[in-house]
Amino acid sequence: MDGNRRNRLAALRADIRRLERVAGPARGRLSLGDPRLDSALGGGLALGQWHEIGGEGVEAETCAAPAAFAARLAAALLARPDQRGRSAVWILRRDDLFPPGLAELGLPADRLVGVCARDEAEALAVAEDALASPGVGVVLAEVGAVDLTAGRRLQLACESRGGTGLVILRRPFGGAAAGTSGGTAAATCWRVSPAASAPGPGDFGLGPPRWRLRLVRGRGGRTGAWSVEAGARGDEGEADVAHPLRLVAELGDRDLAAPAALSAAG
Amino acid sequence: MLTAVSPQAAAAGLFPGQRVTDAQALRPDLVLAEAEPEADARALEALADWCVRYSPAVAPDPPDGLFLDIGGVAHLWGGEAEMAADLAARLARDGLTARIAAADTAGAAWALARSPAAAAAGPQVLAPWDPDRREASPPPPELAGLPLTALRLEPAAAAQLSRLGLRRIGQLAALPRGPLARRFGGRVLLALDQALGRAPEALAFRRPPTPWFARLDLAEPVSAPDDLARLCRDVALHLCARLETAGRGARRLRLDFHRVDGAPVCLELGLSRPARDPDRIARLFLPRLETLDPGFGIEAVSLQAAEVEVLSPGQADLASLLEPVEGPEALAPLIDRLNARLGPGRVWRSRPRASHVPERSVRRTAALEAPAGPARDGPAASWPAWRPRPLRLLPRPEVLEAVIALTPDEPPRQFRWRRRVHRIRLAEGPERIGAEWWRSGIEAVRTDQVRDYYRVEDQDGARFWVFRSGLHDHDRPVRWWLHGLFG
Repeated sequence: MDGNRRNRLAALRADIRRLERVAGPARGRLSLGDPRLDSALGGGLALGQWHEIGGEGVEAETCAAPAAFAARLAAALLARPDQRGRSAVWILRRDDLFPPGLAELGLPADRLVGVCARDEAEALAVAEDALASPGVGVVLAEVGAVDLTAGRRLQLACESRGGTGLVILRRPFGGAAAGTSGGTAAATCWRVSPAASAPGPGDFGLGPPRWRLRLVRGRGGRTGAWSVEAGARGDEGEADVAHPLRLVAELGDRDLAAPAALSAAG
Repeated sequence: MLTAVSPQAAAAGLFPGQRVTDAQALRPDLVLAEAEPEADARALEALADWCVRYSPAVAPDPPDGLFLDIGGVAHLWGGEAEMAADLAARLARDGLTARIAAADTAGAAWALARSPAAAAAGPQVLAPWDPDRREASPPPPELAGLPLTALRLEPAAAAQLSRLGLRRIGQLAALPRGPLARRFGGRVLLALDQALGRAPEALAFRRPPTPWFARLDLAEPVSAPDDLARLCRDVALHLCARLETAGRGARRLRLDFHRVDGAPVCLELGLSRPARDPDRIARLFLPRLETLDPGFGIEAVSLQAAEVEVLSPGQADLASLLEPVEGPEALAPLIDRLNARLGPGRVWRSRPRASHVPERSVRRTAALEAPAGPARDGPAASWPAWRPRPLRLLPRPEVLEAVIALTPDEPPRQFRWRRRVHRIRLAEGPERIGAEWWRSGIEAVRTDQVRDYYRVEDQDGARFWVFRSGLHDHDRPVRWWLHGLFG
């Protein structure tokens, strides 16, 4: 009786794991370039799911640092051998993306399809459609907010073909503040804000871009805050896509307690 | 050389082929106009299209003739003579002089239309002669009496025949065929036979410009969305079957619903690759059927294909069985769905363009267009990695306020943008970008169009792409603009 019960419990747990598809081994995980970052995510960014990336302060409207972070992740994802021949789809509400800047971050223009949606609902519908399509490796969608239903639909679309979604929360021009979505179906939620760069001694001008990353929610309950730098460039000037990020410092949890002070400083 | 003469000029003794100087010597008040053979050919084709009102089979006969196959249609006008009279009257009203003749063969009609009788007495109609006895019987007297120039002969052969004393068709037809063929070649006999109906003649009839059209008429009007969807698929099935037979696929489709009250309802669809799969086409139309207002009902539906291209046969079947997973082909269904839903110009792929001006350095193409070769874009059609470019480029540069710079030709130390003050910690530049003087005249180039771009980072690490417009000038205040944002 006892063994029977244990077996049934194990079977039920397996069912739940299969339903949730957390850390499906076939989907794989994307290394962010540093073991300390990856370990907080349980081995890397989970593929075949969708992740929410938001900005803070003035970034909530211009959304340059979150987009750059997302572009680094997308470039690393498309460089994987199992994504050969697939494209990235970038869904915009405001048409201000500049492909030369993306190429600098390692995302080549010939593997990027741009889509300009007319409203919020359309952007989410396009994201869902693209995630469930063959030939699409990663979908980047700039939307104001994702509610629970839309998030669940995105997750189902991700699961149908193993596409990965990166939702960039961007406040509509002059609109209400974004990034305050409560419950969400995203695998991880990030807040990205720019950080002062540190050019090497003797270097002229600006150093590689740095970001303050806050993992505010993740499946498995891990959170954290880090200061990271975009991966080094090779001799030819091309971005090193295998290691998208370089960890500069692990930040204390006090940042989590006082995010309002941070955005006020921006 | 005169190519054509008016009736008055002909009366004065001028003729086509005459030298202009001779003609002017004959009539000093001669009015000359340049010959335009291409315009004449275009006019003839337009006239051929117009003549479709008489018969579906019209063949232009350049430079100045038209053949109409009126077999089976003449009775609609009450007979051949009435039809010819109607045609002559309409042409005359449009200011065209025409000679018209109807006969059993195209050659005979050609000959009659160019006979003096057609010029003098109007449309000529030759009564049919016995088709079974054409081989042996002599030609009808109307034809036999015509000069040999009425046959479509080569000029050399016509001149030789007339030197031998042969002037009428009847004389030529009476000669033994063997020696005639040996002496003048097969062309003369063929022209004679075609005129007399002894040899077949193929005319190149003009076809209507868009044959890719399918239409379904309904006995009862429908308006339920499910019915419309089924209609859409049925009409696509008709058109796609024809496309498949011809080995073609369509890239643009237009679906017209004909409402009971006559109001047109039309949906257009553009495809990234030519297609002829009725299910796929119907699926693409499906989401837009919901937005359609059927009014009191739809009584007919038509589907028209444009931009029809060659699509190798069998591929459609293969594609439906085996969905390609790799490469741009796999994206085609998604691109088509997005184009159908969002409308044109909202799905694109970016390509480099060889230009230093940031706004011009990106070219948008259709999402599935193959990359253009290097020849078209110039040698440097890629973005050089050593030139920093922002992630977001503002649609138009925004002016910076309260700019503080140590000297006018240094990067700013502080500025205000969108009501927020940014203190600059690090700066890099300048990169000077001038207007492309080769696009307009060199005199249009001014020094105030020069932009000096700096990459700056503020106290929080936010990075901006700012520029100072114009060269430094003591009389003019320096203006700074923000053009892009780095991530």
